Amino acid sequence: MRTITFDIDRFDGTRSWSQSYSFAYDPTLTVLGCLIQIKEQQDPSLNFTASCRCAICGSCAVRVNGNAVLACDTRLDTVLTQWNSDALRISPLGNFRVVSDLVVDWSDKVERLRTANTGLKARKDFTAESGCRQSPEDFARIQKQWDCILCGACASDCNKLADNREDFLEPFAFTHANRYAQDSRSADPLLHVKGMVKNGLWKCLHCMECVTKCPKGIAPAADISALRALAYAAGNTEGKGPRHAAAFLTDLETTGRLNEVRLVPRTEGMIDAATGRLGFTWRMLKRGKLATREAVELFLVDNKPIEGIDGLRRIVRYRRTAK
Amino acid sequence: MSRKYAFFPGCVLNAAAHEARMATEAVAERIGLDLVEIPGWSCCGASHVQDLDHDAALAANARNLALAERMGLDVLTACSTCALMLRTARKELLEGRKDEINQALATADMQVQGTARVTHILWLLADSVTTWAPLVKKPLSALSVASFYGCHTVRPPQVMTYESHLDPHSMETIITACGARPVTIPERLKCCGFHAVFPAEATADRLTANAADTAAKAGADCLLTPCPLCQMQLDMYQPDAKAAVGKGGDTPVLHLTQLVGLALGLEPERLGLARHIVSPDGLLAKI
Repeated sequence: MRTITFDIDRFDGTRSWSQSYSFAYDPTLTVLGCLIQIKEQQDPSLNFTASCRCAICGSCAVRVNGNAVLACDTRLDTVLTQWNSDALRISPLGNFRVVSDLVVDWSDKVERLRTANTGLKARKDFTAESGCRQSPEDFARIQKQWDCILCGACASDCNKLADNREDFLEPFAFTHANRYAQDSRSADPLLHVKGMVKNGLWKCLHCMECVTKCPKGIAPAADISALRALAYAAGNTEGKGPRHAAAFLTDLETTGRLNEVRLVPRTEGMIDAATGRLGFTWRMLKRGKLATREAVELFLVDNKPIEGIDGLRRIVRYRRTAK
Repeated sequence: MSRKYAFFPGCVLNAAAHEARMATEAVAERIGLDLVEIPGWSCCGASHVQDLDHDAALAANARNLALAERMGLDVLTACSTCALMLRTARKELLEGRKDEINQALATADMQVQGTARVTHILWLLADSVTTWAPLVKKPLSALSVASFYGCHTVRPPQVMTYESHLDPHSMETIITACGARPVTIPERLKCCGFHAVFPAEATADRLTANAADTAAKAGADCLLTPCPLCQMQLDMYQPDAKAAVGKGGDTPVLHLTQLVGLALGLEPERLGLARHIVSPDGLLAKI
């Protein structure tokens, strides 16, 4: 008989330990089904949260071998194949406070979600008589974001949150902010953008874990991009994040290629770059990563424009000029 | 092996990571890979342009793909972010944006069909390992090597489809073929912080210091990455990360093709190994 083993991270409020549970392989089981079976047949003290069992309520996300999944929506066979092993480690979501075993605390996360000003503040031209109609095209722009079930998988595996949660938000918060900011019925899209700018909008690492782990196929990283574009267009052009992005777009349109020498002063400002990056620059010159003459030329003259630069400029600006 | 590719070097291979270009071209020549640089290629947007103008990034990469199509070749790049940007654009074009973006390309008498596929030198080397492994002249049996895949090499899996994003093995396959010993570190699939090194510098410092420190403590002679941006972050910023965090600082970081080049018997000078900020001299002395 094929035996499956779950090594589950346990926590009783003070003590942490790993507990091993073995059970017969059953191809019809999901990860949640396994947990329920363990609780019912082996250990009623095992704690986890679950409700709908059909990927709607978002309450059963856990980590399998360190990677967040929605337990009810993940077949046992899938994870056994992924890891090529009949023994799996089951842990609570990362970047959450653990309450008990696989149960995590959402109260703090909900408070942080409030910075997105969730809830639609409708345009003033809507009335009881005319309603607040939205075209299918406009609905399509936010439809995916409405699929978020707040399971926490994106937050669990976010590399930025894992390092420091004080200057960044859970990826789902950006998704929720964007779904209101992009809603054609919204009176003030920036109402949902401002809180994001203050809470790390430009600090995303682009690690793509949120996009990878969302069980609903949402791309919080794309929502972060969309919010950045809204913020920039609204005048949030200062700061290292906006200036860094602007430097790339400028170079793309000017010569077609990145000017690495100008990138740092453009991002940090001339004075900060000159004073704060002296050691860095010296090392680059010393090891030949930067050639002195080439660096001076790049700084003063720029890259030579690529072949076909006029065409590239027309292509890159086409959508902007058409709008 | 003799395959011809439209080579997309990306901006950093022409600048601070020029040694990655040197190593890629030297390895390609040694194993019979014909790389033809795409004339007039532009920056892929580097995972930043879309933050200000999504369609500008899409259109620029549609143009890059169209240039490769004119050559009748698939695209090969040695940068994971370039690979992600190009593959994301191709996916978006094929999933419904092609006609619209072709209107932009038409202003420069260009059209994109999406026929040119985009591959990474990592995947090519892993797939062809049985072909080039017999060419290994200098097995690196004295070296222990910790792989650092880089986010954009494997994520998101909807775009980077080559192998499991949870448990990839291409790097270990190549390290083993080079005769070296793969070392697994917890940071293997983590972020280096490069794309936020300015707005989130403290985080980038910690991620860099952690990877360098863990690799050294695990007995690795170096970190190895297929992404030049990860290499730049982990190498160029490692002294700053050590100053800020108090660990790491002495772990050499090699580009994937530099390791392969060494195993193939190419001289370190040809692979640009003198250009590294953290000196790989100790590692070179062991082989």
